[in-house]
Amino acid sequence: MDALLKFEDVELYYDHVYALKGVSVEVHEGETVALIGANGAGKSSILRAITGLRRIRSGQIQYQGKRIDGIAPDEIVRMGISMVPEARRVFPYMSVRDNLLMGAFTRSDKAGIQQSMEMVLARFPRLKERYSQQAGTMSGGEQQMLVIGRALMARPRLLLLDEPSLGVAPKLVQDIARSIVAINRDEKVSVLLVEQNSRMALRISNRAYALTTGKVALSGTSSELLTDERVRHLYLGGEF
Amino acid sequence: MEQVIANGLYLGAQYALIALGLTLIFALMNVLNFAHGQMYVLGGFVTYTIYGQLKLPFVVALICSGVTLAIIGALMEKFLFRTVIRRSKREESTMLLAAATAFFLDAVMLLLFGEKQRGVPKIISGVFISERVILPYDRILVGVVAILMIAAFMVFMQYSRPGRAMRALAQDRVAAQLMGVKVERYSMIGFALGAMLAGVVGGLLVSITGVNSGIGGPISIKAFLMVMIGGAGVVGGAIAGGFILGMMESVGLATLREYGDITYLAIFALLMIFLSIRPHGLMGKPWG
Ligand SMILES: Nc1ncnc2c1ncn2[C@@H]1O[C@H](COP(=O)(O)OP(=O)(O)OP(=O)(O)O)[C@@H](O)[C@H]1O
Ligand SMILES: [Mg+2]
Repeated sequence: MDALLKFEDVELYYDHVYALKGVSVEVHEGETVALIGANGAGKSSILRAITGLRRIRSGQIQYQGKRIDGIAPDEIVRMGISMVPEARRVFPYMSVRDNLLMGAFTRSDKAGIQQSMEMVLARFPRLKERYSQQAGTMSGGEQQMLVIGRALMARPRLLLLDEPSLGVAPKLVQDIARSIVAINRDEKVSVLLVEQNSRMALRISNRAYALTTGKVALSGTSSELLTDERVRHLYLGGEF
Repeated sequence: MEQVIANGLYLGAQYALIALGLTLIFALMNVLNFAHGQMYVLGGFVTYTIYGQLKLPFVVALICSGVTLAIIGALMEKFLFRTVIRRSKREESTMLLAAATAFFLDAVMLLLFGEKQRGVPKIISGVFISERVILPYDRILVGVVAILMIAAFMVFMQYSRPGRAMRALAQDRVAAQLMGVKVERYSMIGFALGAMLAGVVGGLLVSITGVNSGIGGPISIKAFLMVMIGGAGVVGGAIAGGFILGMMESVGLATLREYGDITYLAIFALLMIFLSIRPHGLMGKPWG
């Protein structure tokens, strides 16, 4: 079977400094794939390249068999790829409702949008409680639920998540991990998950890639990597 | 007293509308549009030409003012500001560009319309007189139209899809882009809308105070005062700033008259003290 997303031998630079140096990553239909690695390894750069926020220098990116590198971010969303960016980035002075509606910006099917809204609110009941609250005044965990919900409002086929556990209370990290699993299973969305919390990421993903300074150092099934000595040493340091 | 308040409200409604356009452009593009007053004047001259010279209905003239300025705003965004923003990361680049646009528009209008004060026939005559308030009907009408437009603008920003997109853009450009908002298109729409507001107020006021090619600069200064009072980039701030400035002007004119023309001197002094305490204005935060 062909990959849903194929990221092939990509190089990406910021001015003259490379962030990705020949990285290849694949996501198949229905999979959850994790990207782990230290600060500055290039995890977010991969997501920025996919969404078109950053141009790649060489290599190619294919989605559903079509090349998508060079396409503008607003077109990428329309093709079915949604991203939850690093540091959440809710629209702070908008209500929860308006944030979610922004997620459906590319859609015009009123009834479908309403359905997605109900699905998101059922999945994250907290958002229902805070429906009219300004997003900027919510807790880190609530904002994280909001941006995941916002991304789902576009009804994506591929969901890119950039460190959803960052700045979220430990108790809520479990909730968010469970939501990701449920979304992947129920909404038929494939997931590419960037995480610093490697243990959590490896537990909920099928496969994983470990990055060091712009290169894939290791890859394999997540259960393999969870028990791999090198991974243990490099990425799993403390107990979870 | 009631007279002072009525005058202040009438002025404030105009001012708020001017400030809204300025703050919209600022919020969306981080551009301080020094040419805002000139856009207002140009709107005045369009209405002067169509209503005063060609004798077409006032409403038609107002619409033409709005449309003309919307087109000019859109072109300015597309061919001037967008290119400069793309090529330069320094904020003063757009400021200098805006200042240059202001001088250019001043020069063009001086050439086209001369330096004489231009007026038009009254849109309605008559004066409302009660025990305490005397207000010409045309001022009441203009004030009401301005308030209706403020309301319409707010409803548009709050509840329409483009309005929501522009608010999103103002709050987080990258996140808005990730939602599928075409950043360039909506920046252009926002700039056009801001310019349109300036043009329509210019058209409205030509029926009361007339227009001349030299008042662009002073109007821009007033617009910046309002935005400083209310806080840049905030709808509520622009409206508050507009009404506060209108009220201060009205009160100043009524109470300081015997000391000469010092109302704006006093306003500037107050504003300097205020800004040193609250540099972000009353509600300084990006777009709410
Ligand atoms: N806008 C930028 N300008 C210049 N260099 C950048 C920029 N963004 C990232 N970099 C650099 O590119 C490299 C990869 O960054 P990236 O954000 O992809 O890392 P990351 O793996 O997501 O790290 P983190 O875990 O800290 O989020 C880093 O060395 C970083 O300093
Ligand atoms: Mg990152």
